[in-house]
Parts: sequence; C-alpha cells; structure tokens
Amino acid sequence: MTLIRSKTETPNTQKLSISLLKSLLKSKTGIVGFIILVAVVVVAIFAPILAPYDPTLINPTKMLKPPSWIEGGDPSHLFGTDNLGRDILSRIIYGSRVSLLVGISAVVLAGIIGMLVGLVAGFYGGWVDMILMRLVDSFLAIPNILFALVFLAVFGPSVPTLIIVIGVTNWVAYARIVRGETLSVKEREFVKAARTIGVKNSLIIVRHILPNVMSSFIVISTLSVASTIILEASLSFLGLGIQPPTVSWGGILSDGRDYLATSWWLATLPGLAITVTVLGIIFLGDWLRDVLDPRTER
Amino acid sequence: MIKFLIKRLLEFIPVLLIISFIVFTLVFVAGDPVALLLPEDASQEDIENLREALGLDRPFIVQYGTYLSGLLQGDFGKSFRYNSDALPIVLERLPATIELALSAMVVAIIIAIPMGVWSASKRNSFVDLFATGGSVLGKAMPNFWLGIMLILLFSVTLGWLPVSGRGSWMHLILPAITLGTGIAAEMTRLIRSSMLEILSQDYIRTAKSKGLRKFLVIYKHAFRNSLIPVITITALQTSTLVGGALVTETVFSWPGLGQLLIQAINTRDMAIVQASVFVIAILVILMNLIADLLYRVLDPRIKYN
Amino acid sequence: MKKIICFLPFMFVLIVLAACTNNSSTENEQPAETEEGTKETGTTSNGESKELTIAIGSDMLGFDIHNHNNTSTESIHQNMFDYLFKRDENNELQPWLAESYEILDDMTIEIKLKQGVKFHNGDEFKAEDVKFTLERVATDETLKENPNYKQIKEVKIIDDYTVQIITHAPEPSIIHRLSRLGSGMLPKKYIEENGWDYFLENPIGTGPYKYVEWVRDDRIVMEPFEDYFQGKVGEWDKVTFRIIPEDSTRVSELLTGGVDIATNIPPADWERVESNEGTSLKQEVSNRTLFIVLRATEGYPTADVRVRQAIDYAIDDGTLTEFALQGAGIPTLSMVGPGNFGHEASLYDTYNYDLEKAKQLLEEAGYSDGFEMTLHAPKGRYLQDAEVAELIVGMLAQVGITVNLEFMEWSNFVELRNANENKDAYLLGLGNSMYDGAYSVDWYRSTRMEGHTDYKNEEIDQLLADSQVNMDPATREIQIQEIQKIVAEDVPHINLYLEKINTGVSDRINFTPTSDEMLYVPTITRN
Repeated sequence: MTLIRSKTETPNTQKLSISLLKSLLKSKTGIVGFIILVAVVVVAIFAPILAPYDPTLINPTKMLKPPSWIEGGDPSHLFGTDNLGRDILSRIIYGSRVSLLVGISAVVLAGIIGMLVGLVAGFYGGWVDMILMRLVDSFLAIPNILFALVFLAVFGPSVPTLIIVIGVTNWVAYARIVRGETLSVKEREFVKAARTIGVKNSLIIVRHILPNVMSSFIVISTLSVASTIILEASLSFLGLGIQPPTVSWGGILSDGRDYLATSWWLATLPGLAITVTVLGIIFLGDWLRDVLDPRTER
Repeated sequence: MIKFLIKRLLEFIPVLLIISFIVFTLVFVAGDPVALLLPEDASQEDIENLREALGLDRPFIVQYGTYLSGLLQGDFGKSFRYNSDALPIVLERLPATIELALSAMVVAIIIAIPMGVWSASKRNSFVDLFATGGSVLGKAMPNFWLGIMLILLFSVTLGWLPVSGRGSWMHLILPAITLGTGIAAEMTRLIRSSMLEILSQDYIRTAKSKGLRKFLVIYKHAFRNSLIPVITITALQTSTLVGGALVTETVFSWPGLGQLLIQAINTRDMAIVQASVFVIAILVILMNLIADLLYRVLDPRIKYN
Repeated sequence: MKKIICFLPFMFVLIVLAACTNNSSTENEQPAETEEGTKETGTTSNGESKELTIAIGSDMLGFDIHNHNNTSTESIHQNMFDYLFKRDENNELQPWLAESYEILDDMTIEIKLKQGVKFHNGDEFKAEDVKFTLERVATDETLKENPNYKQIKEVKIIDDYTVQIITHAPEPSIIHRLSRLGSGMLPKKYIEENGWDYFLENPIGTGPYKYVEWVRDDRIVMEPFEDYFQGKVGEWDKVTFRIIPEDSTRVSELLTGGVDIATNIPPADWERVESNEGTSLKQEVSNRTLFIVLRATEGYPTADVRVRQAIDYAIDDGTLTEFALQGAGIPTLSMVGPGNFGHEASLYDTYNYDLEKAKQLLEEAGYSDGFEMTLHAPKGRYLQDAEVAELIVGMLAQVGITVNLEFMEWSNFVELRNANENKDAYLLGLGNSMYDGAYSVDWYRSTRMEGHTDYKNEEIDQLLADSQVNMDPATREIQIQEIQKIVAEDVPHINLYLEKINTGVSDRINFTPTSDEMLYVPTITRN
C-alpha cells in the first residue's frame, strides 16, 4: 500500500488550502473575483433579510420609477421599480438565488455525469469506450442552447428541467478530461501493480484519478457556472427560460428589454448583476487555472 | 493521412446514429402534434384516424425504424406548418446563417488577433488589463441585450445602419458585431494565452538574446506559431456560433436557420426541428474534422494515427 | 529585406481576412433580387414611394385558408382573397362577391354572384368556385375551420352566377359565416388542374393584391391585381409584410422609417412612437375579449357559484386596464363586444369590484380561510398578458385565494386545453371574426364544455338551442342578450376586458386599424 501512497499523487489538503490562500492574496483579479462571488452567495442566502420588499409585490402607484439617485426617483426604491411597480433591487437580490441555484446545480450534475462516463470509458476501454466517446461527439455536435430549447419546449420550462437540461448538455467536457486522466493513470506501473494485487478500482479512483482531475474540474466548473447564467438569460429571451412568478436574472433582463429605450434601468441593472457575477467567476476561474494547472508557467 | 480521414469519417456513422436517436426520442416524448393539427372540436375518431395516418400509433421502435430508413433516403419528414419536405426548407435557410456566421467570424478575428497579440506582448500592462477586461465583458454580455443596444444606438439614434432584415452589406454589420463579440472575447483569451506560452519558449528567448527587435520577434515567430491553435479553435467555435445565431437572428429578424428553428420549436413543427438539428450537427462535425486536419497539417509534430 | 519578412505575417492576416470577406460577399450576391428589393423598401421614408411595408410579429401559417384559425394570417390573406359578403366601415354586412341574396326558406339561401370577377390568372369567378370552396371546408372534418362551416349541407349551382346554400338546420348566422376567415373564394379549375400543393405554393384569389413571394419567417410580397373587379388599387405598386418577431426591433424599424406600419406596439414604446417625428400610435378597440375560464367540475372550489362570483368581485378590471394595459382595454362583463349581433350594452364598459362582497361570498361558500388554485396563462400572446395575470394573482391574494400562476408556452397551452387538462382556471383571449354573439356565447353550451369545465346551466342550454335555429333576428338578439345576462350572474367565465389594437403608423400614410385586426391594404392610402 505504501507503494500507492506516493506524495505527489495525494497532496496534503491542509497544505494545499494554505498555499491556495497565499497565492490568492498575490493575485489581484483573483481577490476581486473571490470577493464578488462570496458577496453574491451571501446575497443569495440572505435574500429574505436583505431585500427591502417582496420581489413579486405589485404596486400600481409606483410604476417605472427610476433609481433613487436619478431625478424623479423614489428614495424608498434604490434601483427603481419595474412596469408593475415592483422593487428592482429586491428582484435582483432574489434573482441571484435562482441564477446561482441553476448555475451551480447544473454544473454539479454535469460533473457527476461526466465523471461517471469518463471513468467507465477510461477504465473499460474497448467498445464501451468507443460508444461513450461517440456519445460525447454527438453531444458536442448539438449546440447547447439548441438542445436546451428543444428539451424545454418538450418538458416545459421550470427550474428542475433547466438544471437537468444544462447538466445533460455540459457533461461532455468533464467526461473527456476524466477519461484522459484515467487512461494515463491506468498505464502507470504502481497502478498496474496495485490492480494485480487486488486493490479495488474504487480505491484507485479516489487515490489517483480524482486528485489529478480536480484542478481541470474546478476550472471548467467555474467557467460553466458563468456560461450557465448567460444561457439562462438567452433562454428567457427566447421565451423558454424560468417563468414568473419565479424571479431570475435572465427573466428580469429579458422582460425589461422592451423598456431599454425608455426605462433603461429595468434591463440594465439585472444585466449589470449578471456581468459583474460572471466577471467575478471568470477572474476566479482564471486564477484557479493559473494555480492548479501545472502546465501554465507562473 | 488518408487512413486517418477514413477512420474519422467512419466515426461519423455512430455519431449521426446517436444524434438521430436523441432527437427522435425528444420528439417522441413531446407527444403527438395531432391536437395542434385538428380543429378544436375534433372528435376522438378524427384524432385516432390522423394519428394512424401519421403512423403515430405504432410503438417507439417501429417509429424510430421508419424514421431512420427515411433519413437514409434523405427524407426528414414533412413540415406540417409549411406543408412540404423539411430538408429543402432547412437547406434554403442555411446560406443566410452561414453568411452571418462567417461575418461574425471576421469581426471576431479583426478584434481578437490584434487584442490578443498586443496584450500578450505587454503582459500585465494597461493594454493587457483592457483586453482581458474587455474579453470578459464580451463574454458576460448576453447577445440579445447587445443587439438591442446596437440597434438603439446605430440605427435609431444615429441613423447610420438599417435596423433588421437581410439584404445589403449594411444589414450585416450589426448582427455580425452582435454575434462576433462573444466569439472575439473567447478568441482573445486563447490567442493571448497561446502567445504567452510560445513567448516563454526557448527559441524565442534565443531570438531575443540575439538582439532582434522585440516586436519583430513577437510577430515573426510567436504570432505565426500561435496561429495554429487559433485556426483550430476557430473551427471548434462553430457550435457556439450557431447557438448564438439563434438569438442574434431573432433580434435582427435575420431570415436564417435560427429563426426557422425557433418558430418550428414554438409551433411544434418537429420535422423542421429534427432536420435543422441534423444539418447543424453535420456542419459542426465537418468543421471539427477540418480543424483536426488543419491542426495536423500545420503542426507536423502530431502523428496521424 | 528584413522589413519585408516581418510584414509577411501581416500580409497573411490581410489575405485571410480578404478571403473571408470575399466569401461572405459572394453569399450576398446570390439573392440579387432580394437585395434590390430591400434597397427599395429602404427608401419608404420618401413620400413619393409607392411601396408599402408592414411589420408584423409572426409569420402567416400558409395558404390553406381553411386550415387555420389565426387572425394575423387572415389579416394578410384578406388582400388576396375575397368573401361573398364583407362588412363595410359601419360594420354592416354588404354583398361583396355576391350581388344580392334572398332567403328562400329556413335552410336555403340563394345568392346571386357578381359577374366579371376575375381570379389572378384571368379565369372568371363562377358558381362552381363557390361550391368548391364552401363544400371543401364544410365536409373535411380535419380542417381547422370545419366547425364554423359544417352547418352547410350542400351548395347547389343554379346557373353560372347563382348558387343556393343549403344548411343542415336553420342557420341564422349564415351571412356572418360567409364574411370571414375560411370563406375566401378559391379557384376550382386552377386547383383541380394543378393540384392543391401547387396552389399552396402559387396561390391565387380574386382579391385586390396578388401573390409575388413568401420568404418564410422573413417577408410576404404582393403587387396590385390589374383586373380587380373593383378596379385596380393603384395606391401601392408593391406591398411587403415583414415578419419581425422581436417587439423592440419592430418599433425601431418604424421609428427609423424602415416600415410604414408596425403592429402590436408594446405599451413601453407608445410614448416613443407618439413623440417621434413622423410616426404616431393608432389605437382601436378590438373584438377580442380577455377572460378567465373557470372549472365548474365537482370537487373544485370554483364549482360553487359563490366562489366564482367572489373571484369576479375580487378582480379590479379597472386597475387591469388602466394600469397593466395603460388604458388599452375596456372592462366588460360579456364576451360579446359592440358591433356584434346580440351585443348587450348594459354589460359593456362596466365591471364588478367589491372586496367586502367577495370576502362575504367566500365566507358563505365555506372558504373564509381562502383556498389554493391554479391559473394557467399564456405569455406574450395577448397585450400585456403576463402583467395582467400577475396582477390578478395579487388581487385574489387580498381575499385569501392563493393562486399558483403557471405561464405556458402557447403550443403547450393549446395542448393542455385540448386534452382537458386545465385546472381551476386559465386566461384566454377570444376574437369573434363572425361578429355574431352566437359564436361567443356558444362557449357556455354544456355539451361543448363537458370534461373541460363541466359548466352546465339548463336555462342557457335552452336559450342556445332556441337561438341556434331562430331565423327571426329580433327575437334571436334578445335570446343572445339573455344568455349574457345569466352569465354575468352565474359567472362560468370571469370576463375581463376588450383589448385595444395598438398600431404604429408612419405619417406618410393614412391607416386606422379596425376592430377585426385586419391589415386591408385598400384602406391604406398615401398622405
């Protein structure tokens, strides 16, 4: 067993997190990304406390009020109100919940599917590998948004279906990485030895494959969360996004587009929320890639 | 080389088979369109009759088999909305989408190459920051928002460009920019990192030490080499490009495949949906194959097996 | 030398770019005619131009005039096909392709046709065309318009210019039926010689405009018909219907002069269209009523008439029209709007709203703590439909009714209704192209609603049965009005409002939208 537990393969997690933190402090964009993301997560968790109003509360007397810092703005509505007099700040705060929920759950789902497919394909090889890789090619050939549109039209747009469809379309990248890593690990002498002496496959997976794919996994995941948030907005635009009364950033942005010329804040502020969040995630992802990817020179 | 090509082409077959299965299953689950085809007060008998006539009462496997054998003969079914064969309708719309996609690619290249090269050559400078920030912004902006803003600015306020539709080259500018921006963002990042990688390699360092002027080094050696991944990555963006076209075409009423598809999905015209997905998939696969070949041609270090 | 070498990569980029540009420009040159066409329409801001461009939100559904019940498709078809009867500007039915008519008995109407009416291919319009057209839609049960024409048993040709339309039963609204969607006259000979599929690709009618081309999801082009029986409509040399689904794009096209008319302007842009130089907003009350269909099936709270009444009293139609619709709606308690046969004036432009009464009714019904219900609603189908639905949820919450609002994509919504999977309530808008109240109140017929809402009112059923075969207009009108009065009390539907049509029009032309939502080009003139 000592043969298998080589130092480079399983780094001490405590040491890793400390060194991560150190390098984070060195990277300016990394810090910015980290802070943005933490802020968004906090907002999402504490939405009921932070939001000044119920996001679906309609107020006929206060429709289309501009943000409070603009002439004609209402001081009680910081970001103004929409065409039904609902408070935009509250809607953005609540919208973060769905956007993050969909983004993160879909990525987790995709990660799990990708991991399973990749492991099976890599371990068993042969015709199993052949078929699974053709499956990967097939999913690569259909644009995500197209698959999502057809799927949502068939099953009806809702948060769970959205998570499933994005998960089902995004697993491909993970599968490829896990498969590649599995193939290379499988060929190593100590793994071969371990297998001959009867070490369980599951142990090999946990000890050798997972640590090696983790870095790519994290990098892809962060970027996927970002693209998922934008995908959700595009689906809303095409009429198959998350339906009201559930509030999502994409939904608010898409509903506000008729007002871009007259009441810009309706679409611009949720758009800004999306942009800033995605920016944060990409910054964090870039930094993670620099730190975790051994091929990048630092 | 030929062997490689044949192998790749053979791999097409299972891929197309799987796609046909996925698409068919989705359509099958969607339920039959009979309810949408008949008048509101249609009797149960009429419904059954039409279902039978369309072969929708048969089991899944049989229907799939019929569908497959139709595919082999180039028959993608009949669009009930347009009352004619689906494939010709889809192919008719392809040129408009390809026109838009190519123009978007040109826009992306025009933006991305100078930005990527420049920011890599001056790493961590103001320019680099600007390029990085810009590319993140380009990626974070939803297409439709950008498109509507561009129309408001360049067409409504300034009156320089037409709002929508397809026709002269003037009509092409705004949709191409809208669709190209996201791609440009992705490309800038890739060019930058591939340039950085190459710039750190030994032969560049050697060249530098020989005293050649810096910019010459960058453009002569690094740029040429960094083009290889760029070309292949460009081809790999086909899928993203077509996906983005769905949104862009809707904003600009561009009469391409995207608009057709959206309408087909909304009206449950599944023959059109199936044919479009297939055509797009084949397009993407072909582009990926071209990318692969180019990569092999341009980079002799890769073997053909 | 070195300089040249270092510029080589630049050259390479330039060549690649040039190649790509070349590529896309060859794509461009392919449809040369379209390009020319667009350039011409681009100059529509020029007051001299005799080209009319109309922007609409969705494509038409094809040229099978019998197999759609889509108002916006008909608004285009009306320029190519003529009916036997047509409503004039005062909403009175006048003979159109018909010269005169006579009611021979309860089930027979004899129609004399105009002579010298020509189809676009030069063939003369005759009695056999009437027979062909009406019998096709009356007998083929798979056609979507069949329910509105199956009352016709037979069309008898008396001579080339005389037909007798024979119905299965006395049919008081026959003239109304022949003046609307589905009764545009088709060329029998042309279709029989060339086949139906050929007709769908190359449609002809007797109308003022003839077909030029249809680029799907892009445009429909027409040009005037020289031999139109009312004389060539010389006002426009070319009419283009452009399909622009995105609202903001359609408005932008109007504002920049790219199109002369843009339909369905969202409230957000009314002010822009009005204040913009060269465009204005034209509004007109449509013949489309928005209402909520309630389940009266045993077991649903809405089976109790008091609950239905409570919902009616809890919804403030005035707020809906003033607030969500920005004034583009008129509250009503009946589905039958003004201008329709059987319109009941006392139920129009009025509504019930009394929160206390609503609460009291709920209490009487045993729902003092409220209850939970589902409301299905389409989104983006009608003017501000999503906003209206969300407002209704808020209003019902005030009397303790928790509404689970489910927005549905249109096709799913149609499927849900056809399959009778509707829950407590759904929101729907219904136009009445017949302008006969009988068509609207038929929605309360118990046999029709069986399994759907299970609403049954014997009094209404009796009145419906009587009015359906009543050939005396005076008493039939009273019967239809009576039904509406019962409905206002018994509330099988919550009737909300009649929505207005909101059309943006360029100042270079004259156009006033009509309540039937048609885009009839002969009524559009240059300024």
